[in-house]
Amino acid sequence: MNQGIDLQGSFVNTLVDLGLPAGAAKALWLPLPMVVILVGATVSIFVTVWLERKISAAAQQRIGPEFAGPLGTLQAAADGIKLIFKEDITPAKADPILFTLGPAIVVIPVFLSYLIVPFGQNLVITDIGVGIFLWIALSSIAPIGLLMSGYSSNNKYSLLGGLRAAAQSISYEIPMALAVLAVVLMSNSLSTIDIVNQQSGYGILGWNIWRQPAGFLIFWIAALAECERLPFDLPEAEEELVAGYQTEYTGMKFGLFYVGSYVNLVLSALIVSILYLGGWESPVSVSWLASLIGVSETTPWLQVITASLGIMMTLFKAYALVFIAVLLRWTVPRVRIDQLLDFGWKFLLPVSLVNLLLTAALKLTFPMAFGG
Amino acid sequence: MGFLKQVSDYAKESLQAAKYIGQGLSVTFDHMSRRPVTVQYPYEKLIPSERFRGRIHFEFDKCIACEVCVRVCPINLPVVDWEFDKATKKKDLKHYSIDFGVCIFCGNCVEYCPTNCLSMTEEYELASYDRHELNYDNVALGRLPYKVTQDPMVTPMRELAYLPKGVMDPHDLPPNARRAGQMPQEILEAAKAKETAEAKLEAKGDATKAD
Repeated sequence: MNQGIDLQGSFVNTLVDLGLPAGAAKALWLPLPMVVILVGATVSIFVTVWLERKISAAAQQRIGPEFAGPLGTLQAAADGIKLIFKEDITPAKADPILFTLGPAIVVIPVFLSYLIVPFGQNLVITDIGVGIFLWIALSSIAPIGLLMSGYSSNNKYSLLGGLRAAAQSISYEIPMALAVLAVVLMSNSLSTIDIVNQQSGYGILGWNIWRQPAGFLIFWIAALAECERLPFDLPEAEEELVAGYQTEYTGMKFGLFYVGSYVNLVLSALIVSILYLGGWESPVSVSWLASLIGVSETTPWLQVITASLGIMMTLFKAYALVFIAVLLRWTVPRVRIDQLLDFGWKFLLPVSLVNLLLTAALKLTFPMAFGG
Repeated sequence: MGFLKQVSDYAKESLQAAKYIGQGLSVTFDHMSRRPVTVQYPYEKLIPSERFRGRIHFEFDKCIACEVCVRVCPINLPVVDWEFDKATKKKDLKHYSIDFGVCIFCGNCVEYCPTNCLSMTEEYELASYDRHELNYDNVALGRLPYKVTQDPMVTPMRELAYLPKGVMDPHDLPPNARRAGQMPQEILEAAKAKETAEAKLEAKGDATKAD
């Protein structure tokens, strides 16, 4: 099953037709997806920050940013430029190498995780067999960065903040992985493309959210905790507490943590929409509609429409989830650290285990519906 | 069985918590469709209420240096610098100052000033870079503030108390819209009308008694 647009293939073919050797053509293709990732993730930060501020304002009957650019769209850019020009301070007796590495280790895995986010059958950087496993592995690098930056700040509060952040990230990683495992069980594959394909065919009825409602909730809660979003923003609590692992950070190093958390939020929303909301699939299946009006799936214009619709559907689902995250931020009070750990270990973990076992049992009893 | 009960209780609690979160989310979602009530401050300002206690205004020529304001002030704040003029046998006021960095705007001085040379203004923008600049002398105190309603740079906004009943947002209010409740003169008129009516009734009652 290899329908849809093959951008890499057509790019390489065009260059080969122009007279380049195949190796050179492939080497020319390589930087393009990386640039697309970087630009896409950066734009998603701007969009998310703007949305967050506007939605927060609307929820509080305020106006929000409106002077920098039309409707305040350049506010995030202005904030970024301000952070770049701020003085970059390393505390006395801090370990400069670890201090600089910390934020980078928090941010880079998040950007790397975009490798496995599919926007269409072939609109993915790499369709590796262990895609979702790679994502879980990458997301467990972030706690090391948090701990590192807290430890190297030469500040006991930063150290405590780093420990809190690491404890939170680790305790929410496990229910998340178990929730993903249930999805993987159903689709018999760790590849994100396969997971979406397994949900395709019946439109909105085929999405995993109907077969994995508990898993969806667990995953979304754990993802919010991973991104340190309210109600789980204990490590930094940017509005109220002057503590946390980034106390000693200034300028763009400080900004990198926020870049990381916003990219992570968008990434988590994308992954949720891939795992549970059918990825690039529309609520009404496009291929079904096409066959209804008698258009072949390999028609070029249909492929273009399907691809662009797929990108829009993925982004729409992801941003709907971001919207819910912002609403949650202004609805739910922050939890205490012991409540947070209790919730992670004593509620989410057993529930996700039960969910996994139930999925396995259902897979054995109803192999038709649960991907036997 | 005890364990099962625990589990069911816990599940019940969790469901209830989920329900409450859903309720909260719906409230927040409802707020999204409401209009912002923001007053865009430097360009729009609220009109201070009738008895607003802002910066104090002082009229040098009316002051008789009696120092009543100092005595009624909770912290003896006004500084009255006078000299006795032997020729006229009167106090001659040299300087008068109030430090608004310390003043609590209680209005006692205004209340008790025998010559009404002190009064409250609507000015509330007293920010300065140095708190010593808040010590206003008689010249600074004598300046009249710019009224919000007369400032061409400012769109005056009515406060909640001056909005018609049910209106929360002053932005698209017609200029002659009436405020909530009755005006003081209307209350007086109503009271008078009621009094006369009662008097009439009483007169009637007396008349019937007499019969």
